[in-house]
Order: sequence, then C-alpha cells, then structure tokens
Amino acid sequence: MPKVVPWFALLAALIFLPHVLSFSQQEILVYLAINVLIVTSYRLLTLTGEWSLAHVVIMGVGAYASALLTKMFSVPVPVSILLGGVIAALVALVLSVPLFRMKGFYFLIGSFAAGEIIRLLWKRFREPFGGPKGIKGIDPMPDFSIGIYDFDFFEPISYFYFAAIVVAVCLLILWRIEKSPVGLTFHAVHWQDKLAQAAGVNVRAYRTLAFTIASGFAGLGGALLAHYVGTINPNSFDVEVMVFVLTWAIVGGTATFYGPILGCVTLTILNEVVLREMGFEQARPLIYGLILILSILFMPKGLESLVQKLKPGRKSAVPVERAAE
Amino acid sequence: MFTKIHRAGFNRRFFLKTSALGTIAAGLPRAAAAAGGTIKIGFLAPLTGPVAAWGKPGLDGCQIWAERINAAGGIKLGDESFDVEFVSYDNEYDPAKARTGATKLIREDGVSFIMMLGGDTWPGVQPVAEKTGMLFSTLLPSDLSPDTTTLIAPAEVHPIYNVTGVEWLAENKPDLKTAVMCAQDDALGLPSVATYLAAFEAAGIEMLDEPLLFDPATTDFAPVVTRLLAKNPQIVCLDTCYSDYVHPIAEQLFQQGFKGQIISCTADFYDQMIAKTSKEFMEGFIFQFPDFDDPAMNADNVNFDDPNGFYAEYNKRHPGEWGAVSWEYASIMDLWKAGAEKAGSAEPEAVLAAMQEGGKGKHAFGDADWWGEELFGISNALVGAWPVVAIEDGKAVIKEFRSIPDWYTKHGELLRKHMSDYGQMFDQRG
Repeated sequence: MPKVVPWFALLAALIFLPHVLSFSQQEILVYLAINVLIVTSYRLLTLTGEWSLAHVVIMGVGAYASALLTKMFSVPVPVSILLGGVIAALVALVLSVPLFRMKGFYFLIGSFAAGEIIRLLWKRFREPFGGPKGIKGIDPMPDFSIGIYDFDFFEPISYFYFAAIVVAVCLLILWRIEKSPVGLTFHAVHWQDKLAQAAGVNVRAYRTLAFTIASGFAGLGGALLAHYVGTINPNSFDVEVMVFVLTWAIVGGTATFYGPILGCVTLTILNEVVLREMGFEQARPLIYGLILILSILFMPKGLESLVQKLKPGRKSAVPVERAAE
Repeated sequence: MFTKIHRAGFNRRFFLKTSALGTIAAGLPRAAAAAGGTIKIGFLAPLTGPVAAWGKPGLDGCQIWAERINAAGGIKLGDESFDVEFVSYDNEYDPAKARTGATKLIREDGVSFIMMLGGDTWPGVQPVAEKTGMLFSTLLPSDLSPDTTTLIAPAEVHPIYNVTGVEWLAENKPDLKTAVMCAQDDALGLPSVATYLAAFEAAGIEMLDEPLLFDPATTDFAPVVTRLLAKNPQIVCLDTCYSDYVHPIAEQLFQQGFKGQIISCTADFYDQMIAKTSKEFMEGFIFQFPDFDDPAMNADNVNFDDPNGFYAEYNKRHPGEWGAVSWEYASIMDLWKAGAEKAGSAEPEAVLAAMQEGGKGKHAFGDADWWGEELFGISNALVGAWPVVAIEDGKAVIKEFRSIPDWYTKHGELLRKHMSDYGQMFDQRG
C-alpha cells in the first residue's frame, strides 16, 4: 500500500468528521484542534528534559497580542494570528534569559512564577489588557469563499477547517524539527547533557531554542482561540488550564510525537462528550480525576504504549532515549 | 463536494433548520422547541469549579420550580398547556465552554430561553445570542450594554442593590462613621467596589483607605485582614466576595479580634460562618440575601409564589445548601412564564416584548421598573425594592425592603462617578 494512502484517509476523515457530529461536538472539535497544537508544542520543550508551567500563559501571550493588534492597530486577523505566535516566541526568548539559569525542578517553579507575573500584568493594567475582565469583542476571522465552499467563521465547521489546516502545517514543522539534527540535539541535551556539552553543544542555547519554538506555536494556538471565542481574560490561561495540558501529555505519553495528541483527544472526548452525554455532568471532575489516577497506575508509559503494543515488531516507543540511558 | 449552506446568512430560522438537520446527522433523538407538550429552558451556568456555588443551587431551585409549575398544569400558551423541562450545561465559568453550551442548548436541545450567571462567560455567548436572537438572562447586569438587546437582568441588579444595606446601616447605626473594604480584583468585585464607595459617600461614612483589591487566587487572608484592621475601622465591608473568600475573611476578622460592624453583599452558608466564629461575633452582620422562610417574605409586595414552602422544600432536598442564587433563577422563570403566557408564545422576541410591556414587571421583591439606560446603556434590568438582611441570634432576618430607584434618584450621579473611576460604565468595558 502506498505510504500516502493513510494520509489521504486521514484527510478525508478530517473533512467529513464535522459533518457527522452534533453542533456542540463541532465546537469541541475546534478547541480540540487548537489543544492538539498546544500539547504537541509543549512536547517539543519536554524533549530537552524541561517541563514548563508557563506554556499556557505563553499561549495567552499569543492570544492577547493578536487580539490587541487587531483591536488597536487594525491588523488583519490572519496576519495578527501569525504575529501572535511571533510575539509569544519573543516573550519566551526574553524569559529564557533568567529561566535557563535553572534546571529541572527549579526551572519548573521558575516558569510558574514567570507565568504568574505575566498573568498579574494582564490583570493589573486595564489599558491595554482589559484587567480581570480581559478583552472582549475580538475580531473574528473575516469570512471568504473559495468557490466550492463559503467560509463563515462563526460556524464551527468553517473554523475547524481553518484551524485544522494551520495546526497541520504547524505539526508538520514540529515533526520536521524533531527529526532534524536540531531535534536529535534536543534529545541529546535531555539524556546526555554532559556528553553533548563535551561535544561542543551549547546546551543552554538549545534549551532556549526549544522553549522559544514551542512558545511560538503555543502563541499561535492562543491566537486561534482568541479569534474564535471572541473574548479572553487572565483566567483563560491560568494554572488550572496548564494542569490539563500536563495531564494530556502525561496520560498520552511524551516518548512519541503522537502520544500527547492521543492523550489530548482521548481525555477531551471523555470529559467533554462522553461524561456529559452519560449524564455525569456535575460528577465529571471526580470521574476524570479517578480515570487519571487509574491510567497513571496501570499505564505508566501512557496511551502511546498501547499503540506500540499493537504495532507488529515494535516493542518500545523510546529506543533512542532508553538506549542512551 | 460541499453545498453552499452559508450563503443565505444566519438567523434564528436558519439555526432551527440546521438544528434539525444536525440532529438527524448526529443520529441523536433530540426534540425541537416545545415539541411533545414540553418547553425546554436552558440553564447555562457553572455547576462545577470555584464558581459553582452561584450556579448549582440555582439549578436545584429551578427543578423545584418546574415540578410545582408542572403539577399546577404547566405553562399555558393560548389554549395549550406545556410542561417545563430544564436542560443544563456546565460552563465551568469559561467563555469558550459557555459558547459551546449555548450552541448545544439552542441548536440541539431547542430551548426557548437560556438563563446564565453571566460575568466572564457572557462575552463568549454574546455572538451566539446576536446570531440566533435567543433570549438570555444574567444575574450580573454589568453584562448589559446597548448591544445586548436579547439579554435581560430581571432578578438582581448586582451590585446596585448593595446601596440599600449601607443606607439602612447609616440610618439605624448613625454612630458608625468609618469603613474599610476589600474585594477580589475581578469582574464581580470591581463594580461592587464602585457601588459601595458611592453608597458610603452618600451615607456620610468615611473610607479610611483605598479599597484593598486582592487577587482571586488568594487563599491566605490573614495579611488582607491585618491590613484592613490596621486603620481601626468601625465597619469592614466585604464587597461581593465569593463565599470562598467571605468565610475565611470573617474567620480572620474573628481571630484578629474585630468587634465592629461587618457588611457584605452575600453571606452564603452563614451557619458555617457562625460555626467557625461565634453567634455573638456574627450578630448584626448585614447582607442582602434573605432566607425565604422569613415572615417578611409573606408580605403583599412579594411576588415570589409561596416563598416559605419553596424554602422548606429546598432545604429538605438540599440541606445546608441554601444560598444567594437558590431562588433567583426560579424567580426569573416566574417572569418568563408570565411573559410567555401573556404573549401566548415561547418565541424569544414575543416573550421579551410581553415581559417589558409598559416598562413594569413583577420582581420577586415587589413591582419594579425596567431600567438601566444611564448605567448600562439599555433598560433591560428590572429594578425595584431589595431586602436588607441582618443576622440576629444566628438567623438571617429581613430588616426592611428598600427602594433602589429612590436611592438612585438622589445619588445616581455619585454612583456613575465611581463606576466611571473604576472603568465600569458600559462604554468603558471591554
């Protein structure tokens, strides 16, 4: 079977999927597409061995930047979305100066503090950030037609197609980065940092690079969200949301590219669709928490380990890393 | 490959049509609006998370309301009677989830009216309201603006009614002349701060310090209270703090030896506060939300049907959970029901027109006016009298119903000034 066939099948599935879903499920699909980008970009940072608690705040930087660019300077929305990503990357670059003086647990706490400082700035300065209420009335993507299809971006199907295209391009770039010599160096920085340093690799520079790239894509995701929902506030990017990103990554597994995506898709469908449809709306946090505990207890290598078991002749998802250990 | 389904533009008719198509496509057995003798009402509020205390008790109250109405023959539209059914969606106080919930309730469940807590979640829903023309209600009139033509605030004019508590305090305890205030720095706290500042100024009570705004993530209130008490105030005002803040602040005031007057917008679950402090400490605590077993609720001016029975039934089913919003959503339903029966239709436009006919409405605490042009840019808030409640011997007691419009007539300019200072006028928001 030609290699492109599964990809065409996936493309066809993504095109037709929204049409078999209910309206609310289409809405969830839009957020799912954006969240896939957030969690996948987060994984890029984890390749270097660092786990940040500022990723969602950086996503918010992209959202705020894009919203303000359209509101204050009338920048066209597609351009502002891209600039949102760029500004998020630049903010991350600045943050990396003090943050990468730390490693491991200290970096984790430092990133949390940095994120909270940014959130407090949004709350403190009503001009231009809107204070605790945030920004509302954010311009939506302008509608347009491509002949065979009219894009009305109020409709979740249209926005899903748009977001899916953007996310697919971003995933492709992230994939290529990981498979490039730069990506292999990220692995080396994680598993053999002393050896990498001895070989002339500037470990701190590579950590900074991973943090900046990951933040850029997170900012892009935040901008996509802002122009769909039409409102953002500091609480939209708080540590509670960050915990969701962490759980998607942990439950899915971070050893493979698809692990966090698997975690994000599975847990979102479980939380937002299955439990709601089953009538457990108010018990969702309890059941969700229980499932998390059980999955960590009985599936410590994440959902990706199940996929690995199903793949013939491939027993481990992390040969490079484990070999390095 | 695709049909151009969007060419005609969006309106309510298109939404209902696409809802039906979507329902078939999804294979879900959803009913269209009011089909099968049932009118569905949407309940879109936080049912989980830190703000759930202002959502879930309201849904519980609505269930009791629906059972009572259905037992009494339902809602009469023309010659037909319809049962009422509430369809809830937990928005977790998140605007994105609120948008999803609104979409589901309108396009899949076919509801005729949606009740919300409002606040941070309304901006996420507003585009859906504009596209569909669906009638929404909020508990927070600060969501109102000239653009929100299908949003009404018929239950409470938060935070304007807080002026009645301060006014009552000034008249009944004239020796109290100094105050301090704290509030969480958010969309709920800030307009309330502006209102209390106006009320204290109007009452001749001096603020000893700028209002202390704390971060909503605060969990340790000892430093907050220490700073408040440093000025040795006679009155400590807790603004519109969530119950998660009111309780620990009251506890800290007790532990740090405060002996003065406390005034707050809410005192949800005040029995727990008494348990954590003392009956003596909580004596005279003033707030704005009564227990409905209060004898004053049986006065002729009160339009809420059988408040004592409602309270008893609520406490039987949900002991210890009575709070500020337990009755509010149900009281909104009283107004909606009256509007729908008057219009002979559950269509949002018709119900809204019937509700606002003559500019008057029957608010839970008495006849009231549709009002708000100056403050909100639209007269979609129902304003009349509001109770002042004090804790006496461990129990909430209504001291008096006071007129909000009367206060506003005298001090409206002051309120607008403080609202403007805090950026809370409708043309300053967002």
